[in-house]
Order: sequence, then structure tokens, then C-alpha cells
Amino acid sequence: MPTRRIFLRNSALAVVGTAAIPGFLTRAAFGAVENGDRNKRLVVIFQRGAADGLNIVVPYAERNYYGMRPSINIPQRSVLDLNGFFGLHPALSAFQPLWQQRHLAIVHAAGSPDTTRSHFDAQDFMETGTPGVKSTDDGWLNRSLHDLPLAAPNTAFRAIALGPSLPRILSGNEPAVAMNNINDFSVGGRSPKPSLAATAFEAMYDHSSDAVLHGTGEETFDAVKTLKAADPGKYQPAPNANYPKGRFGDSLRQLAQLIKANLGVQVAFADIGGWDHHVNEGATEGQLANVLTDFSQSIAAFWNDLGDLGEDTVVVTMSEFGRTARENGNRGTDHGHANVMFVLGGSVQGGKVYGRWPGLDQSQLYEGRDLALTTDFRQVIGEAVARHMGNKNLAEVFPGYDNQPEKFLRYLG
Amino acid sequence: MRSSPARSFSTRPGAGQRPAATVGLPPRVAASRIRKPTTLWLFLALLIVGMACVVPQLLAKKKTEPDSGPNDQKRAVHALNRLTFGPRPGDVQQVMAMGVDRWIDVQLHPEKIDDTALQSRLEQFRTLRMSAHEMVENFPDNQIVKQVMDGKKSMPSDSARRAIYEVQMARLEARQEKKQEKQQEMQEEKPARSASTNETASSSSMPASSMPAAPSSSPASMPAYEGTNAGSANDSAKTPEELAAAAAASSDAMPATAANANLATPSSASNSMPASGMSMLAENNAATAEIAPPTVKAKITDDAQAHRREDRLDASLKFQPLFDLPPDERYKKVMAMSVEEKLAFIDAVKGNKGQDFLIGMEPKQKETLLALANPQAVISDELVQAKLLRAIYSERQLDEVMTDFWFNHFNVFVGKGADRILLTSYEQDVIRPHALGKFEDLLVATAKSPAMLFYLDNWQSMGPNSPQGLGIPPHGGYYIRKPGDNRRNGLNENYGRELLELHTLSVNGGYSQRDVTEAAKVFTGWTIDKPAQGGGFKYEPRMHEPGPKFVLGHKIKPKGEDEGRELLHMLATSPQTAHFISLKLAQRFVSDDPPPALVDRMAKTFLKKKGDIREVLSTLFHSPEFWNDTTYRAKVKTPLEFVASAVRATGADVDDAMPLARQIANMGMPLYGAQPPTGYSMKAETWVSSSALLARMNFALAFTAGKIRGVKVDPVQLAGGPPAPADAALALSTLEAKLLTAEVSKQTHDSIAAQIAPAANGGMSASSADSTNTMQDRTQDRRSGQKQDRKPQRKPADVPRSPDTNTIAGLLLGSPEFQRR
Repeated sequence: MPTRRIFLRNSALAVVGTAAIPGFLTRAAFGAVENGDRNKRLVVIFQRGAADGLNIVVPYAERNYYGMRPSINIPQRSVLDLNGFFGLHPALSAFQPLWQQRHLAIVHAAGSPDTTRSHFDAQDFMETGTPGVKSTDDGWLNRSLHDLPLAAPNTAFRAIALGPSLPRILSGNEPAVAMNNINDFSVGGRSPKPSLAATAFEAMYDHSSDAVLHGTGEETFDAVKTLKAADPGKYQPAPNANYPKGRFGDSLRQLAQLIKANLGVQVAFADIGGWDHHVNEGATEGQLANVLTDFSQSIAAFWNDLGDLGEDTVVVTMSEFGRTARENGNRGTDHGHANVMFVLGGSVQGGKVYGRWPGLDQSQLYEGRDLALTTDFRQVIGEAVARHMGNKNLAEVFPGYDNQPEKFLRYLG
Repeated sequence: MRSSPARSFSTRPGAGQRPAATVGLPPRVAASRIRKPTTLWLFLALLIVGMACVVPQLLAKKKTEPDSGPNDQKRAVHALNRLTFGPRPGDVQQVMAMGVDRWIDVQLHPEKIDDTALQSRLEQFRTLRMSAHEMVENFPDNQIVKQVMDGKKSMPSDSARRAIYEVQMARLEARQEKKQEKQQEMQEEKPARSASTNETASSSSMPASSMPAAPSSSPASMPAYEGTNAGSANDSAKTPEELAAAAAASSDAMPATAANANLATPSSASNSMPASGMSMLAENNAATAEIAPPTVKAKITDDAQAHRREDRLDASLKFQPLFDLPPDERYKKVMAMSVEEKLAFIDAVKGNKGQDFLIGMEPKQKETLLALANPQAVISDELVQAKLLRAIYSERQLDEVMTDFWFNHFNVFVGKGADRILLTSYEQDVIRPHALGKFEDLLVATAKSPAMLFYLDNWQSMGPNSPQGLGIPPHGGYYIRKPGDNRRNGLNENYGRELLELHTLSVNGGYSQRDVTEAAKVFTGWTIDKPAQGGGFKYEPRMHEPGPKFVLGHKIKPKGEDEGRELLHMLATSPQTAHFISLKLAQRFVSDDPPPALVDRMAKTFLKKKGDIREVLSTLFHSPEFWNDTTYRAKVKTPLEFVASAVRATGADVDDAMPLARQIANMGMPLYGAQPPTGYSMKAETWVSSSALLARMNFALAFTAGKIRGVKVDPVQLAGGPPAPADAALALSTLEAKLLTAEVSKQTHDSIAAQIAPAANGGMSASSADSTNTMQDRTQDRRSGQKQDRKPQRKPADVPRSPDTNTIAGLLLGSPEFQRR
């Protein structure tokens, strides 16, 4: 794996100007500042609302697929072929270069083994990392920071969620920051000197005996100060990073700014809603296509924006469950079971669909209606946590789950 | 979480002297009030006396006897914190005078409370009194506008309404033209683009048809620079994130977002269309998928932006004289403009300017002008404003709290298609009348409401073996499917599942996937009569699945619509439902993890009293757990509760509630904007985060400084002025008493006092007062609609700054104490 990377790096100068080279190589070649921060980063993206995996990475060669979805299938001529069996939904064209550069891998028929079809419970289980156990009060992404080999960098931005509230996945003992908007992230104005009000608020929350507010307050003021010093506003998107307008694109654009500002981000979380298509899901165009365009263009822009920092970054996507294999009575789909996950990163052995395909024959379906699960999402994430982040204590990150390294999919080089 | 001893404060102490006021308070609060050793001794002595006299007597207390002791004050504060959106100045004394128990009883019977003051505040919102059908007619979506364009519907005769239609038609036409232009451009770009794509493509062949959605999505029809909601990917819904993001983008006093009624939001209309406008909507929204090569995009954007900037400058100069006219004349001038002029005018008076323009006009005039910009937003904005005004000003506070609670329990998202026109009636006619009534009535009302039927898709759910599901035409004969029509009609599980999981049994209620499917069959045929036109509930037998259904081991015999009634009755009277509803109520009124024994007792009442919500609440309010010290201030306020309580605590006067609504959205809780059927969480963990805390602190400061548009607040008066108290320390203690009902922690007090210290010696107080007055003047200016060019007075740079009265008030509202209730 390092061999391929070094090869690419050394050959970078030779290929400048061609469209096929990864973004970070051209940036390096043009003399972009070499990154001093060799932190490994894990970015988790949650598709809230249960994305329809069967129309996202389409098993177009599966004989049952078209029969089950008469009005919402993606015709074979429209899919972006991956390997002769699966094809990407055409709205995911932004993913195609990442696939071809082998930075993007896919795990199909993956997800949470729990049988719930409740959005709320299923999201909760995927965020706590303990399917079926409701009493877990912290999130696996937070726990994944407990046992990292390198000493924790002293930064308020080690764990960050883009959005107005801290999601379950990041709650826990490790300090974590929720940020809606970089520009609003201060008290009483943006001047470099703390305002009088900011000083008073900081003292109030610092000394408060209210445990909940004190903890968050402390993390908040740390983060505000760090952010002011780093001034991430000066890190504008790279020229080839075309973030679509909207909340998800904004989230990833700002996350890229924080990473580029060298704030020591180790784990980050962003989510994108709008996947619950019970009615008029659409096929090559329509509701699902629209949200997939936003999804894929934002992620592709983020990847381009990171440049050579992408080498140390792994992005994993997940959704609480898949949707019924058959379309329902309203040209939509109802709540199902297994789903598809994307993994993107510099060290990812991409251009490959991982996992075992369970098939769509009636007898192969889960409860006679949904795609069966062949890969536990904890196995996918476990590999990133252990082999990318270097946290070998997976029993603590995923209590109650026997995550055997020898069973990893080995999507990391 | 909190370290106060588990002791009840529901009792009356024997000694009623001032220091004893701390008897029931947590130790840290008590400590902050006792600073000198002598006072400490006195305090200890009184504490002992007080403790000796403490006898649990809440239940024995005579209801008519007014409360007067300090523990009664605490009881009053607690009751106000839990049953209302926060105490207003004077509320605590009033509740004490009446007696806490009696006050609670009155709140449980809102019909006995006079609320005319609120009603006159709501008078201005005409849509609150309109039927869904009238809303559609008055504030048309693109689909209706298109019908008029196509001659399928006649132009309204009323001149104001006509103007709205004309402007929307012109806008739609312009958008279509732009779209065609862009399509041509895309055609020209295409060869170049394919070439570059092929360069990156290694092996995979890309058939022309797989060129992803490019030609048809035509970015130009809604270019980014129009401030469109380009992130919207769901063709019938605006996501709550977008509502929040839109609010965040404009939180700094300026609207111009899709979520508000401002003279600046033409493009968002396309997002709010009823479902039957979907095909057209898909076109509009597909346009948001920006896939033009970046260079092309940049070029268009730059040129167009430059043009628009010039145009806008010209226009704003041109329209400036209008602002000096009296309101009625202003309105008439606009209505007399040609359609093109109206469009230019709307474009020119974005943001605050637009709001200034409306000052002094009649409600209908305001609505008409707002509707020129965005007809659909008028409806949802009035709904949002009414909710906030009710939370702030209604005397029937418990009724408002419960209406909010049930709306959230039976959540419907305003951004989903027709729900934009259905929510007003949903809250008014479905939720509110049953807020303190019988749970079953409420459940049935929601099940039959067009808003819920639409939101959870049940209106389209069809029995696979029903006449319509089998494709049998209504009047016999054969149904011939047109070629290419591969539609299937059948079951939709969405409502069936959420009914069991979220509305009644809860996720642990012991139901299976089969129960969900069977429940969905039961409700087939429960549909809406023309949702886009604001029609009502309809039972359609042709959609109903024949045969018996088996839900939760119970056989429901075939009887059409009544099957649904039978299932709802079964669910409403289930012990699981009784427990789940009791748990959620206890989470709202007691704590995030309420004592199981209390929940059990409430559930018992629920079953015994046949789901009488008032009785269940009465059990709750009279429980020792409710009055336990660990319960006191144990709840973290939601953003709505925080903002409403801040306005109430200061006694502020709200003229326009939209800016407040945007602040709430910025804190993560856009009103009516919860997209998932779970509604918003009531737990602390959801609302305590870095960005939320910062948003709260910044709101508190902006609010008390008079920087939130549409709200008049006067901290100086609250602090005993005007003029502002010369001694900032005095201002602090007065404001502590008023805003935090005197329960400020030592940490909070000291942190603010530390900022005041230099001023006491440096004679800064006077200057603080000046700056406060300036702020007041500015507020006045703004409200009378005059332009104000005055800059706030600057202090000499070398003098250390001290917080003025406004800032002190802001610090207290942003303090940890004020985040709890």
C-alpha cells in the first residue's frame, strides 16, 4: 500500500495537468503547504431516514431486481457500471472519478443486525454501536477516541459534529463540539479580542456547578478561542471543490476548513436527511436522484478540497436501514433491512464492492421482503477504527460484539 | 447532575423571615446569598427553626388559602416554570396570592381564563381564520398559478388577489424562459463536457443516456445567486435543516430566507407545493442540481451578479420616495405598478427595507405585499408567529404548553407538500380542542386529519385487493391500462407503523412487523378529498382492503371505516399506551428520567379515567415527585422554551415574532420544522451543545440590547429606571431578582460583578446609562419606521468598559441558571 502511494507521489510532477490525477497530487505539485499534521481522521456521514441502497448501488444484473421495482428501477442503460453486476445510480456521477482512482469502496448488504424498522431506534443503535441495547448512553465515535496510540492532541476540535446539536454518536466522555456555522462560533462578535460579555460568560460557565452546562460550556469556550486563533476563514475551498448549495455541502465545506486549519480534528460527523421515500421515490430522476446528487457532489467536493490531507482521512457513510426490495403501492419503498455503505479514503483499496451479495430471490430475502444482511456495520467501522485510527481496543468501542480482525473486509491497504 | 438534597419544598416553613427564603434552595444558591459571617449565623439559626417546623402538608393545604411564605415562593416559581413558558414580572406574586394549588386548578380549566388580550394580538393573522381552501385561493402555489396560466382556472376578480396571481405568473414565465435558455447552453456545452469526462473515465463506457440528469436539470432556471434553496433534494419537502440553515444565514437581524414572509423570497414558493403539484415541482427542484462545469457557472454568476447589483441599485433609488408616503398611499402606489415594476420593486426592497415598508399598513395590505414575494410563506409564517405569540402572551399557559406537547407527539412537518396549508387547522381544530381532553378523541382526530393523512402517506395507501387496487373502474366494465403506465397501487405502511410506535404503544409496545402491515390494511380508504385544494377527510370504500385483519392477536372483522375506529379504540385503551403517554408527560413536566413509580401512578389514572388527560396531569401535579427538590430546575429549556421565557421574563413587547422564530431555528428547533415523525426531543442532551449554547448567549445579548427586530425590550425599566441605575451593582441585583427570581448562583453573580468592579471606581455608570438610552432611542426610531443613521455613541478607547444595564440583563439570560426551568 505505501508503495502505491509513494509511486503516485513521485510521479505526480510528471502528470500535472492531466485530469485523471487525484487532487492532492496536483496540489502538492503546485507547492501547496505540506501538512504538518499527520493525524489520522475518521469522518462519519449519516444518511438519516433510511436510504434506498438497492437504488443507490444498483444490482442491475440481479434477475429479480427489475421485477420487484416495476416503476422505480434504474434501467441498466442508465447505471454507471461498477463491475458488471453493480452500477451506481446515475445521480452519483460525482463518485465515478473517486471510484476510478480507487479511493472509493462500497460495502453492500451491510448494516445493523437489529430487526427494528423504527427510524429512531435504528439510528440510535447505529450511533451507540450497540444494536438492541438501549441503555448505552454514549456513542461509538466518541468511544473510539479512548484508546488511540498517540497521545491525544490538545485541541477542542478533536471530535466535531457539524450541526446545531451534538449527535448521539459523539456524546460521551471525550469532549466533543457541535458547530452549526464557523462564522457564528463566538460570543459577542468576531473580533480577535474576547468581548466583555464573552469573558463574563466564560467565567460563569467555568465555575458553574451545573454539571451538564459546565462541561459543554468549558468545551465551547476552548473551541471558540482555538478557532479565533486559527482563523479557518482563510482556508477557502480548493478550485476543484464545487460544493453544492445546501446544508450538507455547507457542513462538509466547513469541516474541510477546520481540517485544513490544522485544528487536530480526529473524528467528525455530518448528516444528511431526506431519504424516507414512501411515495414517489423516482428512478433515474426524482426525489432520490435529487438527494443523491447533493450527497455525492458534496462528498466529492470535500474529497477534492482536502487535497493531500485526504491521504490521512477515511470517510464512511451509513444509514439506519435499507428499504423494501419491492416497491410499495405508491411508487415508493417502505422500511427494510440491509443497506449499502461507502468508504472513501487515501488508504482505501477502492474500486471494489466488498461484502457478500445475498441475492434477491424470495427465499434469500430477509423476512421475505428485504435485502438480507451479510456484513455487520461494526465490522466495517471496526476496521477503520483499528487499522486506520489505530485503536485496537474494539471490545470497548463496540461492547458485546466480537470484532475479529481476521474477519475484516480488508478494504484498507 | 444536580447535587441538591432530595427533599421536598412543598411545605411551609415556620419562620417566614427573609434569610429563610433559602431553606428550600440548593446549597450553592443559599451560599451565594449569605456572605457575611454574622448573616451566616442568623441563617443557620433560622435554618434549624425552619427545618423543625417542616411538616409535609402539601396535600392537606387548604386550596383557598393564599401562599405567602418563602417556600411558597419557590413552589410558585416551580409551578410557573413547569406549567407555563416561564414567569413574567409579577407572576410569582400573583400565583402566591391566589395559592399555587388553586392556580394550577385554574390552568387545568383554560376555558375559565380570559384571553382576549392574546386574541387581539392574533387578530392581524387572517390565515388563522381561513379554511385550507381559502388559503389555496388567496395564496396560490405554482400549480394553481399554472392552472390560471393555462386557462383552466379563471383569474380572481379581487384586485389584491389578482395582483398576487399576476406577479406569480410573470415569475413562473420568467423561470421557464431561463430554463429553456439554459437548456440550450447545456446542449452547446455538452460535447466539451463529455470529452473531459472521457479523459477521467478509464474503462467504463458511458452510454449517452447515462449522462446524469444533466440536460433536464437545467441549473439556470433557479440559479444559485437567486438565493434559492438549492439544497432541497426532496421534491415535496423542505428539510428542517434547511429551515434552520436559512434561519442561521439570516439570523443577524435579516430575513430574506425561504422560511419567512419577507418581501425577499420569491424563489422559495416552489418548495411549498401540495403533492399534486409534484410533477411540476420535480422540474423546479431538479433545477437545483447544479452540475454545470465550474467555469461556466462562474461566468454566468459573475455577469449576472454584476447586472443585478446595478439594477438593484437603480431600483432602490427609484423606489426610495415611496417610503416617505403614508402607509395606505405606499400600498396603493405598489398596487398601481405594472407587473414588471412590481417584480423590480420586490427585488429592490429585500430584507429590513421590506419590513420597514410594511409598517403601519393594514393586515390585509401587509399580507398582499408579502404574498407578491412569496404567497405560500405567508401561511406558514403566520402560523409560526401565532405560536410564538401564544407561548409568550396567552394567559392559558398550560393549554399552550399542552398544545405544543401534543403537536410534537403527533408531529407533522410543515415542509411536506400540502401540509403547509393543512397545519393551521391541524393545530387549531385537531390538537388544541383535545389538549386537556380525552386521549382517544385526540387520537381519532389526528387519524382523520388531512394533515396527518398526508404527512404519513395514508391518504394514498390502498388495499392491494380493493376494487381500486385491482384496477376495477368505478362503474363496472374493464380497466384498460395505458401503455407505459406501470403504476401500482397498494399498501403504504408509514402511518400504520408510526401509529403503533410513536402515537400509542411505543417502540417497546410488543408489536411485530405483521401488526404494522395489518394496521396499514385497516386504515386503507382513510384518505383526503383533494388535498391540494384543502379538502377534508374522506373514507373511500373502493380503496379499502377487504377481509378481516389481525392486529396484536385481535381479530378485526370487516366493517369498512369502523375497522379503523375499532383499532384506535383498542390502542387508546391499551396499558402500553397509558404507560407511554404518562412517561412522555412526566418527561415534559418532571425530569428527563422521571421516577417509574410516578409514571405507573399516572398510567393507572389514565386507564381508570379512560384516558382523561386532565386527570393524568392532576395526578402528576399533585405527586410528591413533582414537588421534590431534585425536580426543581431539573429540566433544560428547549430553544422554544428558552426564547419564550426570555421574552416573558423581561416583559418585552413583540410586534413581529418572525425574528424570534429565526433565532429559535438557529438553535436547532425550527417551529413546525421537525421533519421526522418523532418530533423534537424533550431531553437536555439534545439541546446542550456548543453551537446551541453560543446561540443562546448571543441571543440573550442581542435581545436585551434591542437588536432583535420586531421586539421592544426595556432592561433599564426592569432595573428600576429610567434612568438606568447609576450603580451597576444595584442594577445587577435588581435584575437578578427580576429575571432569575432571585435564584442566582454565586458563580454567575461573581462573574458579572467582576466585570462591573472597575466601573464603580471609574465613574463609568453614567456613561453606561447614556449608551443604554441611545439603544432605547434607536429602538424607538426603528419602530416608528424612521431611518436612523446615528451610530451608537463611542466611548473613549482608554476608559475601561463596563457592562451597561442591557448587557447585564443579557448576561443573566445567557447564564446557566436561565437555561433551566
